[in-house]
Amino acid sequence: MSTATISLPPTSAPASLPRRILALLPGTLLLFAIGIAGKSLEALAVWLRSAHRIPFPHIEYVLWAIILGLILSNFLTIPEIFRPGIATYELWLKLGIVLVGAKFVLRDVLHIGGMSLVLVFIELALSLTVMTLLGRIFKLPPKLTSLLAIGSSICGVTAIMAAQGAIDPDEEDTSTAIAAILTLGALALFTFPAIGHLLHMGQQSYGIWTGLAVDNTAEATVTGTLYGERAGQFAVLAKTARSAFIGFVVLGYAIYWASQGQAARVERKALFLWQKFPKFILGFVAISVLATLGFFTPPQLKSLGNLSQWVFLPAFAGVGLRTRLRDLVGQGWRPITVGVLGEAFIALITLAMVFFVYRHGGAQ
Amino acid sequence: MSLRTQRPTITTSKLAFNADAAAILIALALAALVRFNVIHHITW
Repeated sequence: MSTATISLPPTSAPASLPRRILALLPGTLLLFAIGIAGKSLEALAVWLRSAHRIPFPHIEYVLWAIILGLILSNFLTIPEIFRPGIATYELWLKLGIVLVGAKFVLRDVLHIGGMSLVLVFIELALSLTVMTLLGRIFKLPPKLTSLLAIGSSICGVTAIMAAQGAIDPDEEDTSTAIAAILTLGALALFTFPAIGHLLHMGQQSYGIWTGLAVDNTAEATVTGTLYGERAGQFAVLAKTARSAFIGFVVLGYAIYWASQGQAARVERKALFLWQKFPKFILGFVAISVLATLGFFTPPQLKSLGNLSQWVFLPAFAGVGLRTRLRDLVGQGWRPITVGVLGEAFIALITLAMVFFVYRHGGAQ
Repeated sequence: MSLRTQRPTITTSKLAFNADAAAILIALALAALVRFNVIHHITW
């Protein structure tokens, strides 16, 4: 899950609660406007093709929302008044994920989530090792290597931000690691669906692969949804299982750097794990438990699933809006090279694991 | 070329509230509204 935004200066908090809420409105409305514009453009394209036989390319609403966001953030100057509200994309993303819990009964969560945990564990061990080796080969600063390894193995920018307080890296290293992870996330949006179609992957296997291989939760959700609604939901499930490990990995690195005398010692490890644990996962499980207990009727479950799709719209818009391509390419070639090589390795390994588990990618 | 030169700074913009807690609370509230038919038949 990403909480970082490129080149957005921290805003000074207005004094009162109503003013703070009011400050969020313009940016939030912009997120919704872009998301709904994306959905409208998809519908317009369908209408032009079917009613007027105009060969308008089929582009999913998800991609439209990202493209519109990218255009706004890269070719226009977004006024300061929108910036606090744009940061709420994180809230919409988490809200959407919690609501997706309605699409999974607890048995599925335990079965698929449990299986994902095994795959996540293997992915973690391999990606941490490979990223560390690549960082040494390309002579990256050791803490930058740690940040890249944490970001690529767990959940991207959130993991990097969690590690920032724990291993005390240079601000530049944090900045570079975030840029590398965001660049790779942007690349995944375009490459993963193409690979999935090329290999004729099922919705479930593709979604699980995406959740295992794409770092940021936002990009993983988008990359999954670009392949299909169900694929997006499985991507969320696998990514959620992966995010649950964040505390353990960051704690491991914190202990290592403390032993080197380059970070503060972690005194209360259980509290540290709880602080780093992404709490929205509990909401996802709670909604799933309610769905399993028959709290909702089937039409109500359908409504909650649809609601999650509406809520994801502003989150997808936020992915485009926070991506400043100029900043991403300006971070130096070595961290990006390490990131690309490491991520390609992780994508291939997780693809092989998913093919093995799902018998060549067919839906279960 | 040094890794520590001429890199654009990437700063973070944090929300002024806990997004996890807010997401859970809003989701539970929406789920309750759907369950008790205050909101019904949401289409896509």
